Amino acid sequence: MIIIASLTTTVAFIKYLIYFSIFFRFSSFGYTREVKLKTKPGAGFKQITKTKEKLAEKNEQILIKGIKAGDQKSFEVFFDRYFSKVYSLAFKFLGNAADAEDIVQEVFLLVYKKANTFKGRSQFSTWLYRITVNTALARLRQRKKEDKVFVEEYMPKFNNDGYHFVRPVVDWSQDVDKIVTNKQLLNIVKNTIDQLQPLDKAVVILSDFEERTNREIATALGLSVQAVKARLHRARLFLRGKLAVHLGHSPT
Amino acid sequence: MVKKMTSKRSRSKKVETCKQATSLIMDYLTGEMNSMTKRAFEEHLSFCPDCIAFLRTYKKTIQAVQSFFDTIPLKKKGFQQTLKRKLKKKIN
Ligand SMILES: [Zn+2]
Repeated sequence: MIIIASLTTTVAFIKYLIYFSIFFRFSSFGYTREVKLKTKPGAGFKQITKTKEKLAEKNEQILIKGIKAGDQKSFEVFFDRYFSKVYSLAFKFLGNAADAEDIVQEVFLLVYKKANTFKGRSQFSTWLYRITVNTALARLRQRKKEDKVFVEEYMPKFNNDGYHFVRPVVDWSQDVDKIVTNKQLLNIVKNTIDQLQPLDKAVVILSDFEERTNREIATALGLSVQAVKARLHRARLFLRGKLAVHLGHSPT
Repeated sequence: MVKKMTSKRSRSKKVETCKQATSLIMDYLTGEMNSMTKRAFEEHLSFCPDCIAFLRTYKKTIQAVQSFFDTIPLKKKGFQQTLKRKLKKKIN
């Protein structure tokens, strides 16, 4: 019994260690750096430095009170503070200025009208973020479906023994910049991203541009973390396959 | 009870084939992988140039996506003000 009890303690300790490491991973100290190859300061909703955070939070609370009371000045300050973030996120989803502008208007009007429904359980900026993501996603879904995209063709294929079907797999990672110009590369990426299903596109934007964790993406889109991971992986495999084909290699 | 704990602790995944390795790439890149699985993943890579190539091109793909997002320009101040005026009219 004593042995079992001590084992339980050990397990609890290990669990604690795991949670701790998870915390560190999410807080940009850990491995995230390796995947998030490029960090653009001030690009997303997320980048507020720790020291400013508290002050910003207090200001935000005053603003929310103002907006809830229908104070226009508060609303204007709020608009100025978040305009570029909402706009650039909307632009990433929709790919053009006109649609992004529509989304910005729709989002801020919603904020103005629905401020009273904000419960304060999350941060106001998180609430705004969720509204932006879902408004942009809804617009994306309204768009006419393009020709069917054969995603399967770009997925990796394996033999029955589990090894790569096409061997050798070519490492073109160093050649990309030699073979295509930067502009060509960006065009390929743009076209491929546009071929993704709206929800997959959303996952890619939130992960690779907004640098959100899978859990945050899951919350914003109402998916499970597993579903987010699966969609992200599949979208990346598709993008990778498309790039490979453009460079003259097998996508698989 | 002990048995239950053991099964919980030994959640490490096998990495015997390229198919398994490929399905774990994302967890490997984000570090969402226990040390046993990580070791197995890296061991597979140590003798599989195909999976090394696949991993490198996968990472390059993420980079390409990020550099694409970076090219999207921000709007100028004037545009922001115009939009704000439009919004104010809608509110009133
Ligand atoms: Zn392999």
